[in-house]
Amino acid sequence: MTDALRYEITRLRTIRSTYWILGVAFGFQLLLTVLIAWNLPETGPLSGGDQTFAILVTVGATLGVAPLFIAYVIGLLGVFSMGHEYRHGMIRATLTALPSRLHVMLAKVLTTAVLSLVAALVCVGIALLSAVSFGVGLPSVGGLRDITVGTVLYTTLFSLSGLAFATLTRNQTAAVALLLLVPSLVEGLVKAVVLAIKASSGDPTSRGGIVDILKFLPYDAGGQMYTRVSLNDAFQVFGYKPFGAVGGGITMAVFVVVLLVLATAAFQRRDA
Amino acid sequence: MAVIEARGLGKSYGTRRAVDDLSFTVHPGSVTGFLGPNGSGKSTTMRLMLGLDRGEGRTTFDGRTFAELEQPMRHVGALLEAKPFHPTRQARHHLQMLAVANRIERRRVDEVLELVGLSAQAKGRPRKFSLGMGQRLGIAAALLGDPHTLILDEPSNGLDPQGITWLRQLLRHLAGEGRSVFVSSHLLQEMAQLADEVVVVGRGRLLTSGPVKDFVEHGGTAEVLLRTPDLGVLAPAIVAAGGTLTPDADGLQRVTGLDAARVGDLAHEHGARVHELSVRRATLEEAFLNATGLDEEYRGAITADRPAGETGGAR
Repeated sequence: MTDALRYEITRLRTIRSTYWILGVAFGFQLLLTVLIAWNLPETGPLSGGDQTFAILVTVGATLGVAPLFIAYVIGLLGVFSMGHEYRHGMIRATLTALPSRLHVMLAKVLTTAVLSLVAALVCVGIALLSAVSFGVGLPSVGGLRDITVGTVLYTTLFSLSGLAFATLTRNQTAAVALLLLVPSLVEGLVKAVVLAIKASSGDPTSRGGIVDILKFLPYDAGGQMYTRVSLNDAFQVFGYKPFGAVGGGITMAVFVVVLLVLATAAFQRRDA
Repeated sequence: MAVIEARGLGKSYGTRRAVDDLSFTVHPGSVTGFLGPNGSGKSTTMRLMLGLDRGEGRTTFDGRTFAELEQPMRHVGALLEAKPFHPTRQARHHLQMLAVANRIERRRVDEVLELVGLSAQAKGRPRKFSLGMGQRLGIAAALLGDPHTLILDEPSNGLDPQGITWLRQLLRHLAGEGRSVFVSSHLLQEMAQLADEVVVVGRGRLLTSGPVKDFVEHGGTAEVLLRTPDLGVLAPAIVAAGGTLTPDADGLQRVTGLDAARVGDLAHEHGARVHELSVRRATLEEAFLNATGLDEEYRGAITADRPAGETGGAR
């Protein structure tokens, strides 16, 4: 296992994409948080505090108006971890150096998780730096902890789902497409269909029923970890009540673990 | 030094049987050529041997499967792909990555780069490498762990004539040190100079295996080339002695069934003048075509109906 970890660390260290992914994530996080912090009012509810800092860290995702930008960029680390193996025919060289496929997979999971977690933490730090630099009122300790944990965990799970998609599809382009489309398009379509069905039912405002499905949309559920006030809240008129941060996080984590287990089983059984 | 023992290897893709109950042995201190027409299952066999493809059978290296080897690159070096590396990772970094996974000293990376003639391109990115340079990097990776066994799939692909000569000398040298070298190639003339033994497959099945010399002698047809102005006298004598004459270009006759000494004796006995008497020995290519003629999966239209013995390259 140690050998597989050494291999993965050297792989990440010696490839350009690691650096440009992190560069894009940090660069845009700095640019966007500076832009937001610069334009925040000096007084009023958005002049500082937990809510304002959550907006800065997530670049607006906490309001449900945008996806969590850093997750989509850092998530590419997960896709490329296995995607490069198949795209460039590296998988056979890798498995002739490390025949234990389980060790190869575990090393990829571990390095993807740690690197994504650290990168997301740096992004939180960048937001904090922007807040301090532009005199935005700092969050409470609890507020800082909650948004940090939510953002970092979501980003890490997002990356791991990218790794699982790449392993299952053995195609980097398909995995990138899945990682972009499942959270944004597919889950959005499911929501639209379910809400349409509920709206056309005899009792559209009753609690539960078919809308309970929406609680289990994995990326949407995971988003509860960093979402504070969301446009999704409007759906509550149809009796939809999402899990909170903990329940949503567990839902997303279970989804990602299942994906990874399936991916590992496929990786073990298939031809390289 | 390791004996490679492949036993009962098998692999199907849907209903197509790519490799079927294939068994053979590769001995240390020899270069064993792995021959077969396109699509005969050579690459699949090599992947099965290393556990890269899932299938039937078992291959052991001194009694242990590839998956059971600790730090496998120290035991078995493999080249299976034409360019098995990321296009933007430096050549040295590619080798370092493989080296750390097998606890191979860093200085060995520079050694193998020098060995394959890529020292000047150590910091080069394979994206800009020619196919030949890519093959050299792949060979460097195979040699990285100074392994006792080499499994190389078409290693001479893309190499220039100097590169092919270099590779032949290198593999002969490695076999001379007692290593087992198992190498597939389409270049039969090259293989004739390189291999001590052959394993020949067709449609995934073993056609023959053993020393190259035996394979050529049994599989090819030696001929006596005869030029005589007294063919009217000599031809009936040759036929009566059990030989067969086939006219060739410029009045040359190809005699089979008799050796050159017997043809010379017959000429002397019948007072026939002989202007040319030589032996054309059977070649590996001829033996290969005879062995695989019925098993060739992908035939070109021009050669499909042409007897193997009449191929121009047999000369």
